[in-house]
Amino acid sequence: MSRVKDVAILGYGGYVPRYRIRASEIARVWGRDDDALPIKEKSVNGIDEDVITMAIEACKYALRRAGIDVRRIGAVNVGSESHPYAVKPSGTVVAEALGIPPTHLSADLEFACKAGTEAMQMIAGLVSSGLIEYGIAVGADTAQGRPSDALEFTAAAGAAAFVLGRSNGDEVATIEHVVSYVTDTPDFWRRAHERYPRHASRFTGEPAYFHHTVSAVKALLEETGLKVSDIDYFVFHQPNYKFPYAAAKVLQIPKEKVDPGVVTNVIGNTYAACSPLGLVRVLDHAKPGQRIVLTSFGSGAGSDSFLIVTREGLERKRNLAPLLDTLIARAKYIDYAQYLRHRDKIRTS
Amino acid sequence: MRPGIRPQEHWRSKRFRYMLEVLRCANCGTVNATRRSVCRRCRSTSLVRERLPERARLLAFTEVKSATDVHDEMAPYLVGLLEFEDGTRIVAQLTDADYEELRPGMEMEMVVRKIAQDGESGVIVYGFKFRPVVS
Amino acid sequence: MAGVGYTKVSEHWDRSLTELAAEAALAAVRDAGVERVDAIYFANAAAEITSHQMGISAIVSEELGLSGVPSVRVECGEASGMAALFQAHAAVSSGLAEVALVVGAEKLSDLMPEEFNTVFSMTLPYETMGFAGVTPTAIAALLYRVYMERYEVPQEFVAQFPALMHRNAKGVPHAQFPFEVKLEDVLSSPPVAPPLRRLECTAPCDGAAAVVLVSEESVGGARSGTVTKLAGVSLRTDYASPFDREDPLHLSSVALSVEEALLRSGIDRDELDVLELHDSFSIMAPLVLESAGFSPKGRSGLELKEGRFELGGELPINTFGGLKARGHPFGASALYQVAELHLQLTGRAGKNQLDRAKSGMAVSTTGFGALSGAAVLIGGDSA
Repeated sequence: MSRVKDVAILGYGGYVPRYRIRASEIARVWGRDDDALPIKEKSVNGIDEDVITMAIEACKYALRRAGIDVRRIGAVNVGSESHPYAVKPSGTVVAEALGIPPTHLSADLEFACKAGTEAMQMIAGLVSSGLIEYGIAVGADTAQGRPSDALEFTAAAGAAAFVLGRSNGDEVATIEHVVSYVTDTPDFWRRAHERYPRHASRFTGEPAYFHHTVSAVKALLEETGLKVSDIDYFVFHQPNYKFPYAAAKVLQIPKEKVDPGVVTNVIGNTYAACSPLGLVRVLDHAKPGQRIVLTSFGSGAGSDSFLIVTREGLERKRNLAPLLDTLIARAKYIDYAQYLRHRDKIRTS
Repeated sequence: MRPGIRPQEHWRSKRFRYMLEVLRCANCGTVNATRRSVCRRCRSTSLVRERLPERARLLAFTEVKSATDVHDEMAPYLVGLLEFEDGTRIVAQLTDADYEELRPGMEMEMVVRKIAQDGESGVIVYGFKFRPVVS
Repeated sequence: MAGVGYTKVSEHWDRSLTELAAEAALAAVRDAGVERVDAIYFANAAAEITSHQMGISAIVSEELGLSGVPSVRVECGEASGMAALFQAHAAVSSGLAEVALVVGAEKLSDLMPEEFNTVFSMTLPYETMGFAGVTPTAIAALLYRVYMERYEVPQEFVAQFPALMHRNAKGVPHAQFPFEVKLEDVLSSPPVAPPLRRLECTAPCDGAAAVVLVSEESVGGARSGTVTKLAGVSLRTDYASPFDREDPLHLSSVALSVEEALLRSGIDRDELDVLELHDSFSIMAPLVLESAGFSPKGRSGLELKEGRFELGGELPINTFGGLKARGHPFGASALYQVAELHLQLTGRAGKNQLDRAKSGMAVSTTGFGALSGAAVLIGGDSA
């Protein structure tokens, strides 16, 4: 892949619902041990929230920061594995709710946890080629965990949105380079009419998450001629608290460069929003002129790795919308029974 | 199969439901909520489309414990009376707050949430609700 | 008004909507002693849903053995009965009909609770409230809060009205709940939509009530002691949402229709001996009383406490229990109100008979004042 030609992040937004369930509460119900839980707690969508509503919210924050005319948006792409409709793009509702006029492209994407970064790539391509002036890329999920399964501890809800366009002097960051690394790896999947996904346990580790993540980062660094020491922040897909640090270790990345982009311990794995929300948090804290490497991982499997450079506009725009930490702090704890209701796991007919 | 929620009717009303788009009378200033051709107050036909502000003040609130067919699965939920800066009032569902957390006079902001869904296979109606402001 | 008829308000599992209507109508016709009926007005809010029926007026006329007679269904939500009376009155006073039968009926007991809420919610503007799951109970609760805050009164002020209704309904054969309910019971009943408690709301029911109107000329032959004069009827509308109005607590359609009915009747408001008013929720009683000008704003609770509205008071209200205790079968309610006035004015009110009952007024409303109507009945020698 080649350098990205003039694509900037004009605005960004992250949204997390207010409800939380502690991993220890889930462990209690299933009689699991309290030690060695993969995260501390995860976010749970409200009964009236789904991918569309969360996407709308994240987009509103991104648009506030971008400060562009909504009528000039040419595409809205939403990546998720829990779109409310299997047929009828989430983007169509999101666009209408934002006041985007009909003359735009709307595509729903799916690639497990990398659907959000895929959306970013696609929108970047549309901007770069001149097909559109501005576009919005969203990663959002109300991920469904199979009750009692290991992944139930981490599957969470959240959304991240990015408004992309050409640099205009006001951008919060620019996308300099992107690499995708994709293979047919059946580590985690969901058949068409199944309610819950299935996975191949430890096979999801080394041949899946680590192989694709590490390969993508290595390719990105090689193609850009940069070293780990040239990068200020590394944001990884974070299905649990351990994996991003384990990947960092393999790549010999110091822990301090990974810490700011890790949110999974307090909100869980928000799937298509997962690494994008890590990026949001870094953008909330970074200074202009810093380099960020964002690397997602989607089961099936693949990784997208981006080289992003923060710009002057970041400090001006940051406070035009709530910071992710503010939304994370707005936590209301629920128990497992309420969680079942919120996640629509109780059959009433 | 008769729908519990008619897609056509939601589609006609989506601009109001998604964006609080209303009609303001250019003659007397009255906000007319729905699509209509004459102002309910002065009968002028000079009605201009406008989006109500995102912020409003909470005047009073209650909790609906017993709801209609399509809304029952989301019950109980909170309902409030809100007032915009220009005095226009609206009744709307409230979200992201417990009954005990609310106080008359609170500043609220508009969010788009699920209002109802027609079972597992019918359409989903999204629309405005209000929540305490997240700064 | 030459005759009245009504069923008990109850869950009539064994009777359909039209069977109930027929029972009340035939009783009214018998009571009136008329030989013919020139027009039928059928008041009903929800037949399309409860009974899968459009064009029900022809079914009603057939049920009564009156096929051939012009028959119209009138739907104005909870005030359907008053609207039907309004139409019938116009027909008779214009000479179009000499004898008009007005019958209201509703069959709500077949509905599941959520269905009932759906139906009741149809009395609110759908585009702005119904679609969002805002129910009449929620609106009543919001008005209740605004009322308590503005007039700085405690909940007891309002909650005592249902207690009054039950006092009056005690032992009334046709009442849905003919037993006493104390203020403490009202306040400790389960919360429905705070601050509203369950015993401040009416319960779904079935019922039918009917009145027979005859022209003044043809009254001569009827037994004069059982005839009253429908001296004035008025119907008015307002914005559908109470919160779009200038003052949500002032139901101007109530105020205007009461004023107009009095004007048309030729009597003053202080001449009224009895009121039958629309207390669908506890808060509606103060709102109707105060909007109609029978109490100063914010003070109806105080006046009730002082005994003004009791059976033995200066202006008795809802002498058979009102909507709360006698019952509220939507389309029939206003006709129960008018029939009960007629009973009072013709001395047939049984144990609830008022000593002085020369003239009375019924006030009905729907959608919290979206449409309201008032009817003045004058009885006795002045008929």
